[in-house]
Amino acid sequence: MSAELHLARRYLVGLRRRTHVATVTLISMVGLGLGVLALVVTLALLEGFQSSIREEIVAKAAHARVLPVDGRRLADPARLVSVLQAELPQVDMVQVVRGTCLVSSLTDAVPASVAGRSDALDVGIDRILAARLGIGVGDEIQVISPRQRLTPMGPLPVRMRTEIAGVQAPEPGAETGSVSLPLELAQRLLWGRPVVEMIELRDSSDPWRLGARVRAALAGEGVRVQNLEELHRPLLLALALERVMIFVAVGLMLVVAALNLLCNVAMVAAEKRIDLSVLAGIGLPPAALRRLFLLLGVGIGMVGSTVGAVIGVAVAMVLDRTGALSLPRGVFVVSSVPFRVEPSMVAFVMAVALVLALAASWFPSRLIARREPAEGLRYE
Amino acid sequence: MSDGSCLVELRGVSKGFGAGSTRVEVLGDLDLDVAEGQLLAVVGPSGVGKSTLLHLIGLLDRPDEGDLMLDGDDVELLDGEARAHLRNRMIGFVFQHHYLLDELDARDNIGLPLRIAGKGAAAAHARADELLEAVSLTDRAHHFPDQLSGGEQQRVAVARALAMKPRLLLADEPTGNLDRENSEQVFDLVRELHLLAGLTSIIVTHDEELARMCDGTFRLAPAGQPFEYV
Repeated sequence: MSAELHLARRYLVGLRRRTHVATVTLISMVGLGLGVLALVVTLALLEGFQSSIREEIVAKAAHARVLPVDGRRLADPARLVSVLQAELPQVDMVQVVRGTCLVSSLTDAVPASVAGRSDALDVGIDRILAARLGIGVGDEIQVISPRQRLTPMGPLPVRMRTEIAGVQAPEPGAETGSVSLPLELAQRLLWGRPVVEMIELRDSSDPWRLGARVRAALAGEGVRVQNLEELHRPLLLALALERVMIFVAVGLMLVVAALNLLCNVAMVAAEKRIDLSVLAGIGLPPAALRRLFLLLGVGIGMVGSTVGAVIGVAVAMVLDRTGALSLPRGVFVVSSVPFRVEPSMVAFVMAVALVLALAASWFPSRLIARREPAEGLRYE
Repeated sequence: MSDGSCLVELRGVSKGFGAGSTRVEVLGDLDLDVAEGQLLAVVGPSGVGKSTLLHLIGLLDRPDEGDLMLDGDDVELLDGEARAHLRNRMIGFVFQHHYLLDELDARDNIGLPLRIAGKGAAAAHARADELLEAVSLTDRAHHFPDQLSGGEQQRVAVARALAMKPRLLLADEPTGNLDRENSEQVFDLVRELHLLAGLTSIIVTHDEELARMCDGTFRLAPAGQPFEYV
């Protein structure tokens, strides 16, 4: 063990001797520890919420979508389906047509998005539409298409009267109500012929890479494939941006703790002025003196950030498992504030704390190493 | 006890502190030769530059002018790392206050110069135990400085100064903070170790009686007045 490492260790272990240096060192450790704790808990909270949003997307939305390159409809959907079935037999596929219609009940009418899906057996509406029209299962609605047909009384919009068989949860991020119809019914309503606008695919075993696999399977078919990230890009970008902003904002606490460490290391250097001169006097070279203070800063950073991280992880896990922070039912998709601890995130926070501790001790260590040893002894 | 060759040579050395109107010249145009094996006392009134002289010889500071040679080599051209290496291998320093590190026990304090020299813990402890026995403090090996008396602290400091078997021992009023009894004990110890280890020693002291026990006395005068070398 080098002399500077031996000394740095003794300065840190010397905490038990309750010197003034020990107090100052302890304050620096607590500062860094609190910074790391705050960051770990905040990021665990953020990760918990964001994970529940991502899980909601994966559970309810399509994982990939096949679309025409130009126009609104796929040229040969039957061929695409057979290729996909051959290449990706485990993947669920749904043929879809979509449009916007006017949906009316006995008392009101609102525009709503209409989707015809090959996996839909009955007519369903989402909760948003049910709430707006004040209707539920068993009630009758009229869906009026923007497509017109020529009648003896002139052109009239195509309309359909049907009974609601089910009410579902809305799609993540949906703001307008929606109606789900069997594919053939929707094709008649929106197009008047068997058109398919897109094929939606789901693979719960590997949702985030399904897009790439579909792209590979349909290479050369003249279609456009959107993966899960592309389908939800604005939301996922917003989540990523939120994470960065929160990290920077809460990370400022770590910067303040590092500035506190800088002051404290400088204070230790001032208080230990004679010791440092004596160390230089008995032959500790300037570079080793510099390393001694860097090691002291890193030691404080390591102990502080480790203790902060351990407490932070423990707090996050306890809050998550006990569900201590409950949320109002029906407003959020989860019943209590979720926390999720990512080991890589904890390691990153600790690394940032260590780098800041190193930077904070670098400045005073440089000043110390530049002094002539006699300077600390001159006025004693 | 001198064998005739000079271990320390100072030629025209000057040193001052401060700048402009507040500048104080402490040492001016100083010449000094210290022979190998000599025990030299440096005396003079307070503020005359005794400690400054010791700091210059001990490579803890640099002169403003003049040449300083140790064992015939000009040390002024050496960089900080080389000077530190020389301090570690060649020079032992005892200060007026013990200046032991509070965080280390007596054994670790004595072994520290060996740690700095890159020796392992075992070698440092072995040498420290040897020196603790030489200064009759074996039973105080694991005591921290604040658990030792003033005389014991200074004996540990003397042991630390000798840890690397230096050729030159510099002591800056090593008995200045001790009562008469402890003062004589520490001085006798320094003199005994000086003889045993064949050291060249320079001791700054206010005590004329102790100075008379040395091989020679260098009497420093305020800058501008002649020095006296007895």
